[in-house]
Amino acid sequence: MSEPISVVKVRNVLLVSMPADPDDSTVAALQDRTLEAMSKYDARALVLDLSKVEILDSYFARMVSETAQMVSLMGGDTIIAGMQPALAVTATELGVTLGRTRTAMTVERALEVAGQPRGSAAKLL
Amino acid sequence: MELLHFLLDNLKEYAILMLDPAGYVKTWTPAAQRLKGYKPEEIIGKHFSVFYAKEDVESGKCERELEAAARDGRFEDEGWRLRKDGTRFWANVVLTALRDSKGDLRGFGKVTRDLSDRRQVEERLRQQSRDVMEMATVPVVQVWEGILLVPLIGMLDSARTQQLMERLLERLTETSSPVALLDITGVPAIDTQTAQHLIETIKAVRYIGAEVVLTGVRPAIAQTLVHLGVDLSSATTRASLAAGLRVALGLLNLHVAAANASGQAAV
Amino acid sequence: MTALDCGEVKIDAEADIAMARRAVREVALKVGFGATEVARIVTAASELGRNVYKYAHTGVMHWRVLESGIGAGIELRFEDNGPGIPDINDALREGFTTGGGLGMGLPGAKRLMDEMNIESQPGNGTKVVVRKWRRH
Repeated sequence: MSEPISVVKVRNVLLVSMPADPDDSTVAALQDRTLEAMSKYDARALVLDLSKVEILDSYFARMVSETAQMVSLMGGDTIIAGMQPALAVTATELGVTLGRTRTAMTVERALEVAGQPRGSAAKLL
Repeated sequence: MELLHFLLDNLKEYAILMLDPAGYVKTWTPAAQRLKGYKPEEIIGKHFSVFYAKEDVESGKCERELEAAARDGRFEDEGWRLRKDGTRFWANVVLTALRDSKGDLRGFGKVTRDLSDRRQVEERLRQQSRDVMEMATVPVVQVWEGILLVPLIGMLDSARTQQLMERLLERLTETSSPVALLDITGVPAIDTQTAQHLIETIKAVRYIGAEVVLTGVRPAIAQTLVHLGVDLSSATTRASLAAGLRVALGLLNLHVAAANASGQAAV
Repeated sequence: MTALDCGEVKIDAEADIAMARRAVREVALKVGFGATEVARIVTAASELGRNVYKYAHTGVMHWRVLESGIGAGIELRFEDNGPGIPDINDALREGFTTGGGLGMGLPGAKRLMDEMNIESQPGNGTKVVVRKWRRH
């Protein structure tokens, strides 16, 4: 069985942490749980912690991209944190896109960045 | 900016290291390790007086050198220096004071060159094999806290790009560096494949949370890229390494500002 | 060939894609691939396994440890009796494998692995074989 997603509120930022190798239903849950929490906590940014994640295939990438889009429609920014080198390499070679998100090396940095204004800092990944 | 002249003049052949305003070692390079014998973890944070002979330390030579560099901008000396194993070597040393735009002292750059004959012969041989190695491996040098420099030399094929990406990403996460300076001054020509590889490398660096500044985009390269229809507009590019370094330092300042603005660091 | 050198994972349900990934990761690690190579192989397996589930709903992934003059390697064979690929060249030429979830993920998997062979005919099912060799 796949480990669960963890959803935590830090000040007014949503911190969602993904497990190492989530199956499809867990990845799908990312979207539902994120949107639910975004509205419940009136969060203004989502920090998606991928530091434990070992594989990013096209399905996972699409879910992340869509989630970021939905978060944006709800008025928030998405910051992807802690992507491991092996993941970054394979994601690039696979040719995925993660949507209009910012990235940070650690969750701490992502939370710092979440305080900054959006706009030009967010790049299309 | 003095830092730029300093780095540009001394990058390839000498043991470069950075000291903070009080003389403690801030950064280390492979060349410095080769010359003095210390691994980075053994020397960073220590005072640079460990490189000096006992009699020099006692006579206050180190303090005098820092004062002179701070006063005149630059201090040059020839004398004995110590390696980690205690052996001495005759060195040419230049200390350069590094100041920010306000004129405040931010530290010193130290360049040491081994003048002993044997070392010169060794160095020549090493440079030759380095030239050969450089075609196969990817050098990643920390030039400032938070900035890694990759001086690319030669063509970028698939295998080299893979090596580059993996090595650079590892070093960036190891050192928690927000900026990678990718210098292509030494890349003779760009074709679609090379451009594609560069774009992928930039992408991968962004994914892990760092940023690439691509430098060394000289006129011929810029022309080729436009003619090939390659879109590097989402990346930060500059014609010279100096300009790229300026951008890199600017990015670092933004980084610090964000950390300060958010108050205490989250635990 | 001993039982430890090959195996298979049935792909009949969505959860089987993750099963295939796990099996492939274990084998790749045993063969001695480095972290990044393991990631490439597992990602390719995920894409190809997902194809099987998405288009044929049922199929199988065979895995095999390879040995040759080059060194050790891994081979993955994805087989199904699904609708087949009408134009293999088209499927391989697509620009991106994701974004809209369109496309079959074949170009991506090809990029991540060292070798790829596809046999497919409309109405006759599909067989995709990929291989990766350890770099020394």
